[in-house]
Amino acid sequence: MTNDPVIPAVAAIVGADDPTRNLYGIDLGIPLEDRRVLVVDESKFNQKTLARFLLWAGIHQVAFASGGQEALDMVETFAPDLVLIDITLPDMDGIEVCERLRRKKSQMDLSILVQTVVTSDILRTICFRAGANDVLSKPINPGECIARVRYHLERRAIIQELREFRERVEKDLRMAQAMQVGIAPEEEAIAALAAKHNLDIAVHFQPCNEIGGDFWTMFEIDENRIGVLIADFSGHGIPAAINTFRLHTLITREDVRALSLDPAAMLAKLSAGLLGMLPLGHFATALYGVIDTSADLLTFAAAGTTNPVIGDAEGLRLLDGSGVFLGICEGEVYENITEPFPSGSFLFIYSDALVECRSPTGAMLGEPGLLDLIIEHRDFPIGPLIPIVADVLKTSGMRVQDDLTAIWITRP
Amino acid sequence: MNFDIEKKTGKTEIALIGRITFADHDDFRNVINVFEGEEGHEIVFDLSRLDFVDSSGLGMFIIARDTARKKKLSFSIRGARNDVMRVMQVAKFHKMFTIVD
Repeated sequence: MTNDPVIPAVAAIVGADDPTRNLYGIDLGIPLEDRRVLVVDESKFNQKTLARFLLWAGIHQVAFASGGQEALDMVETFAPDLVLIDITLPDMDGIEVCERLRRKKSQMDLSILVQTVVTSDILRTICFRAGANDVLSKPINPGECIARVRYHLERRAIIQELREFRERVEKDLRMAQAMQVGIAPEEEAIAALAAKHNLDIAVHFQPCNEIGGDFWTMFEIDENRIGVLIADFSGHGIPAAINTFRLHTLITREDVRALSLDPAAMLAKLSAGLLGMLPLGHFATALYGVIDTSADLLTFAAAGTTNPVIGDAEGLRLLDGSGVFLGICEGEVYENITEPFPSGSFLFIYSDALVECRSPTGAMLGEPGLLDLIIEHRDFPIGPLIPIVADVLKTSGMRVQDDLTAIWITRP
Repeated sequence: MNFDIEKKTGKTEIALIGRITFADHDDFRNVINVFEGEEGHEIVFDLSRLDFVDSSGLGMFIIARDTARKKKLSFSIRGARNDVMRVMQVAKFHKMFTIVD
C-alpha cells in the first residue's frame, strides 16, 4: 500500500525550503505527520507549490498524480487521507474523479478538496454534489490552503478515532451480550423442565441496550417442585449488567441453592451476599417463587418488585411484590406468601419495564392496562406472553426504556 | 432535579424538586455535601415537590441515609406523594428510613 520514495520526493520537489517554517505563525494543532495527501495537478509547478504549502501545514507524506486515472490508481496504492485535486485534468475532469472516488465504498470518508479557477456558485455546487468536501479558488493562498487542509484532516482523524472507539465498544458489547444471554437457562433446558413438570413456560428477555440489569433463572428443586427467580438491578447498561453476573454467581452457590425451598430465606441470603458485593446505592428488586405441582401451591417472596399476576378460571389476582430491595440492608427479613396453584392456574411475573412503558401520548400501561391485556389474550393457544409483549412493544413504538423480562408459567 | 436547602438551628431541610433519575447522580453529590452538623443534627428530605424517582434515584436516598449515619446525623424523609410515595411503599422504605408525615 505505501509508497516509500514519496517522502524524499516531496523534499526534492520542494527544494531546500525549511520544512519547519511556520507560515504567519499558524498554530498547527494536532500533529498530522502520519497523514497522507495526494496532489492531483497537471502542472509540475503547481504540484511543487502545493507540496510546499503542505509541508508548512505539517504534512510530510505527499504523493503526486498528473491525471484523473493516475489519481484513481494512486488512491488505491498510496491510501491518502486527503486528495487535493485540480478541476482541469488532461484525461477526465476533477468532478468525474470526485464522483468515481465517492462510488468506492472504501473511499466514502476520504477528504476531497477541489481547486478551481472558476469560482461561480453553480460550479462550486457541482463540485459539492460530486462529493467534494471543500472548494479552493485558484490562485491558491497558502494560509487558506493550510487552514482548510488541516481542518479536513483533523476532522477525518477525529471521525476515525470515534469510529474505532465505537467499533471496539460495539464488539465488546456484542460479546458481553452473548455472555449475559449465556447465564440464563437455555431454551432446551426450559423446554425439558416444562415437559417433565407438565407446565407451559414462556420467557421474554430484552435488554433496552445491548446488555442490561435484568436477570432470570429457573431450575428444578425436586421431582415436584421448580424454583423461578426474576431480578432487576438499579440503573441500566454495563454497571447493572455486571451486577447480574454477581447475582448469577451467588445463585449457583451451594449454600444458596440449599435454601431453594424457602423463598424468604433465599432472598435474605441473596440480599446478604449482594450487600457485600454491590457499591453503595446499587440494589436489586427480585421475586423468587416455588411451584409445587404435587401440593398445588405457589410460595414466593418478593423484594420491591412488580406485583405478580396469578390467574385461573375464576379470574385474575394481583399478588404483593413489595419488600426491601436486595443488597441494601443487613439482616432483612422477607415474607413467604403461599397461594393455591392447582391445574388450570397461571403465574405471570415481569420487570417494571412492562407496566411502565408508555404510548406515544405518554400514557403508562400500568397494572390495569396489563390486566386488560391478559384478559384479551387469555385463550391464545401457546400462552398469552408473546401477544402481550408484542402489544406492549407496539403501543410503545417498539421501544422499551428499560430492560424487559417477562415469564409466564401455566399449569395445564 | 433541583433542590432548595434551608438551614436552621439543629436542622437542615432539603427540598428535592422535579424528577430524580440516573442523570442526577453528579448533582446529588452537591446535596450530600451539605450533610454537615453536630452529632444528632437533623437532615430532612422534603419530597413534597418531587414528581418522580427511578431506581437510581432510590439508590441516592440509600447513599444519603448511609452518609448521614456515618456522620452521626439523623436523617428523615417527608412529604412523598403519588408515584414517589408508591415506589417507596413497594420498596418498604419505612423499614429502612424514618418517614415523617
